[in-house]
Amino acid sequence: MLHKLLPVLATLTLILSACAGSTSQPDPISSNQNGNILSGKLIIYSGRSEPLIQPVLAAYQAKNPQIEVLLKSGSNSQMANTLLEEKANPQADVFITTEVFTAHALSQEGIFQPYEPAGYQNLPDAYKAYDASWVGLTQRMRVIMYNKDLVSQDELPHSMFDLTDPRWKGQIAAAGSTNASMQAQIASMIQLVGQDQTEAWLKGLMENEVTFFGGHSDVRKAVGAGEFKLGLVNHYYYYLQLGEGSNVGIIYPDQASGEMGIISNATTAAIINGSRNPDAARDFLDFLVSAEGQKIFAEGNYEYPLLPGIALHPDLVPTDGLKMANIELAQVVENFDATFVLIDMANLP
Amino acid sequence: MKLEIEHLSKHFSGNQYPAVNDIKFSMQAYEILSFVGPSGCGKTTTLRLIAGLERPDQGVIRLDQHIISNTRTFIPPEKRNIGMVFQDHALFPHLSVFDNIAFGLKGFTKAEKKDRVSELLELVGLEPLAKRFPHILSGGERQRVALARALAPKPALLLMDEPFSSLDAHLRLEVREQIRNILKASQSTVIFVTHDQEEALFMGDRLAVFNQGKLEQIGSPETIFHDSGSRFVAAFMGDSDFVRGKSMPSGFQTELGLLDQQNDYSPGTDIEIAIRADDIDFELNQQGNGRIINRFFRGAFNFYRVELDSGAIVHVFKLHTEIFQPGDRVLTYFNAGHPLKIFTR
Amino acid sequence: MFRTEALRSTNRRQNKPIPKIAFLAGWVALLAVVPVIYILIRALTGDPELWQRIIQTRLIKLFSNTLWLVLAVTSGTTLLGVSMAWLTERTDVPGRKIFRWLLALPLAIPPYIGAIIHLALLRPHGGLISQWLEGTNFASLPLPNPTGFWGAAFVLVIFSFPYVFLLSGAAFRSLNASFDEAARMLGRTSWQTFWQVTIPAIRPGITAGALLVSLDILAEYGTVALLRFETFSSAIFVQLAGRYDRSAASILSGVLILLALVILYGEFRIQGQSQFTQIGSHWRPTTLIHLGKRRIWGFLALLFTVLVSFIIPVGLLLFWSAQGILDQQTISGMQIGSKGLLSFIFNSVWSSGFAAILAVLFSIPIAIYVVRYPGKVSRLFSRISQVGYAIPGVVVALSLVLLVNRFLPFLYATPLVVVMAYVVRYIPQAVRSSESAMHQLSPNLEEASRLLKRNALQTFVQVTLPLILPGLLAGSALVFLSSLKELPATLLLRPAGFETLAVRVWIWTEEGFYLQAAPASLLLVVISIIPLYFLLRRETIFRQ
Repeated sequence: MLHKLLPVLATLTLILSACAGSTSQPDPISSNQNGNILSGKLIIYSGRSEPLIQPVLAAYQAKNPQIEVLLKSGSNSQMANTLLEEKANPQADVFITTEVFTAHALSQEGIFQPYEPAGYQNLPDAYKAYDASWVGLTQRMRVIMYNKDLVSQDELPHSMFDLTDPRWKGQIAAAGSTNASMQAQIASMIQLVGQDQTEAWLKGLMENEVTFFGGHSDVRKAVGAGEFKLGLVNHYYYYLQLGEGSNVGIIYPDQASGEMGIISNATTAAIINGSRNPDAARDFLDFLVSAEGQKIFAEGNYEYPLLPGIALHPDLVPTDGLKMANIELAQVVENFDATFVLIDMANLP
Repeated sequence: MKLEIEHLSKHFSGNQYPAVNDIKFSMQAYEILSFVGPSGCGKTTTLRLIAGLERPDQGVIRLDQHIISNTRTFIPPEKRNIGMVFQDHALFPHLSVFDNIAFGLKGFTKAEKKDRVSELLELVGLEPLAKRFPHILSGGERQRVALARALAPKPALLLMDEPFSSLDAHLRLEVREQIRNILKASQSTVIFVTHDQEEALFMGDRLAVFNQGKLEQIGSPETIFHDSGSRFVAAFMGDSDFVRGKSMPSGFQTELGLLDQQNDYSPGTDIEIAIRADDIDFELNQQGNGRIINRFFRGAFNFYRVELDSGAIVHVFKLHTEIFQPGDRVLTYFNAGHPLKIFTR
Repeated sequence: MFRTEALRSTNRRQNKPIPKIAFLAGWVALLAVVPVIYILIRALTGDPELWQRIIQTRLIKLFSNTLWLVLAVTSGTTLLGVSMAWLTERTDVPGRKIFRWLLALPLAIPPYIGAIIHLALLRPHGGLISQWLEGTNFASLPLPNPTGFWGAAFVLVIFSFPYVFLLSGAAFRSLNASFDEAARMLGRTSWQTFWQVTIPAIRPGITAGALLVSLDILAEYGTVALLRFETFSSAIFVQLAGRYDRSAASILSGVLILLALVILYGEFRIQGQSQFTQIGSHWRPTTLIHLGKRRIWGFLALLFTVLVSFIIPVGLLLFWSAQGILDQQTISGMQIGSKGLLSFIFNSVWSSGFAAILAVLFSIPIAIYVVRYPGKVSRLFSRISQVGYAIPGVVVALSLVLLVNRFLPFLYATPLVVVMAYVVRYIPQAVRSSESAMHQLSPNLEEASRLLKRNALQTFVQVTLPLILPGLLAGSALVFLSSLKELPATLLLRPAGFETLAVRVWIWTEEGFYLQAAPASLLLVVISIIPLYFLLRRETIFRQ
């Protein structure tokens, strides 16, 4: 008797799931590649901190009210994992990540489809996939920020490796091992100075009782409030904190000869292979590397736009005056597994 | 025959003995049959097997000549046209009295339901309570509603499972008389289960005495009482005490003396005699065979408990005019005006 | 908890071989247990090298952290819950009736929201309290560190104690005066009576409740993550969110599940032993203890608890929300892509509601099977279906990600996966309340219906269902409340554009957007009070 209920329930569930599933299946696309009448859903997976990607999304949504912009934000690796799992059944249209190694690794797996947005030629080669499967949007540097009320000029550290100096014990804030920028820095350092030295550095940080937060927003606010003297962040976080009125300073580390230089990376964007709304995705990428989009990053987020000719925020130090680290993209990606081993061995939270 | 039961058995896993052990009996229409016996004797289980609430391991149940249960067939309870009144009345708390009674009237139109329910409310004497809900009714009223509900669809057979045991003692006597009248007025065929032998004797046209899953004896109240078929029935139903003795050609030798009674036992057989308080008498005698332990005042009679020298306990009725004291030594002797029941040991 | 007294049915019948309901119940039990089995298999077949690395580096620390936290919080909630219940049920402290309600209300506040407020108040240099104290004579007063073990333990105690409070309150209330009086006649003082008579009588029920609290702590993610105290649950989340390989997460999850199953088994055993004190016709309520001059201390204790656990948190949320609403930027900052606040509310409500309905529906076959066909098999099914107590949200998410993608791809990346996670995790609550409701139903009612010409299904619909409906509704309210608050599984499983209030509160807090997080938190609390109120009304201590 009750068996009769089962098929009814099952049917109900299927119907409901189909209805709900329709949120992930786009409406039929009526689009025109010349940029007219794009519609449907644009599903974006983002590994970036939400408020830093929000402005450009809002701007794009305002320009294209007929497109439904849907965002899922999470950590870089969480979103990357999701993309890998969805490979046979892609759900997203665009992936935005905070560093190039993930982009490269995913590209190797065939997750992306190539696309050269308008102005592609003008973008620097260092931050482009060789097969145009992903494109860099803005450049970011790993820097040390400090609270000027608590640290005097002569005390300032000059290198990443100074952070293990016991004089800074308990005084440093950083982002934890789930943060992609942190992972990328560690990966870069393995390639730059070798695994042993990187491991020693990590263990040194642990011994120095560095406080690891979930994200850089917490780090910059903590340094700004004076809870910590030093913070290990991406450069724009310093400027964001400065913009809120805190008395903070910035150090571009490892500039001396023989030192590794500034570890830099780029925010990247890519179109998913199997995207259900490739036209809107392409249009979105066009927007991201367009002058308008790049300006939002530059002015709103203090980032270094990769499109030449876009004015930096007046407070920013131009990159030509800085010694940048020489990072071999492909090599770093190969060593990425080693990064996680090191993180576990050092017990990084 | 209204109801026929043959070789009915049921064994619950985990129990050593079967709950119902090869029961056989039959019932006529319009009769009230009382199932009686101590707790755990199988009477309720038999009832539930007839209702279809349990599945028998073996046996045949026939109702109005249709087989409702055998090894191949099992008609589910809702199709058996059997009504049941439960010990805790089991009235549906979320339905009014009217709706409770009308519950079994499937397929009736609204008007038909109204007529039938009124008929039954009148029968049980509860017309003003039609709109009420069970929780405000008294215990006796609830049982009457339960009865009305069971009778409403005119069942072929009505089963009643200790319906009065949840009532207070003084109510019980009143209610059961009312119920018996209702049952007879409605011309119902009823099986009535109780553990109280007095109730069984009152309610039943016939009695079926159960013991440890077996049907010890089935018969009229008089037969059960006076002509008990087994020691158990005599003890349980017959208000009997037992006196041991040995058979002799013309009677039985006991500590109360010789009982003159023809019998077919081979001489020297160990037997027990079932006696009632009016079958023996005593007189004060210092050399007697027992002494009085207690006296119970019963109005017109006194009821004496006597302990014989052998340790056996017997009871004796005496008129209220004669008073004896506990501790008095007495000589007890047979004084029955009729043959007594004899059971082998 | 949230159970009313059960009448023990004396009808224990072994019935026909395999009733049809058993199959249905079996399916439900399977649904509940498959995620666990999948994880355990993955954990056990994990790379031994990975096992070694994990054992070497973090396992001991995680074990130690997790167990200490469980111990501290369980003791804390027991102490606080029992003492508050004692004050409101056994003494003559003024305002008892109101306090009973107020002390239960923190259940509407998810602990991670409590953690947010805790941090906001006590952050050194940045927190509200230190800001207020600046410029006063107390500026250099050392404030307790809000983070770490003690911070996490404190927050979890404050927002979990109502479970134990309600349980002990009901237990105190059901105690028969004659126990106390008998003890006094035998020469015991009140204090001795309390320890030697009262406490042992209520101990099984309280222990069962405490064990359930400890399972909750094992599963807790948001609070420990915010307050930076690493436990198994947060470590698993970190693995899932920060690594490219599911294996380590599976291994940690396997260990966590085993630990939780041990606790759950203990709870099953104790719960079975606990006496439901009969309220027979000769039951009299215990007389109140007169505190005399010490009444004021009792009152202050109650007041302080209510302040810290409800009034201050909600007050702050109101304050921040008011600030936020007045700022236009805040409102516009609440848009995520094309979705705004209304969609978050809608998503929270419909996904939790749907999960509640499904959980209760699925629990019905189990309840019927266990109560009407008691035996080893049905009890096994019942226990298996309650295994969700032992699976933290994080682990549910992991197993569903692995399973759904493989076997039910059409469900993947739909909100239904989130609903599934809620059902798997919270169906035990529905199972318990459905079983309790069935226990109260005399089997005679169903038998009477059968003999009145209704078949089994009709009996269920016309008799059983209307009578167990209040119990079913209570179960659904409980599942609804729990799903509303759920965080880690929703974070991990949600499709793009599907945000619930809980997720938004979390992400906005992570980014430091307190002005957006506050109204969302407030909304979450307010919506939670509705099912909570419904549940509380049924609790004995709120009936006169």
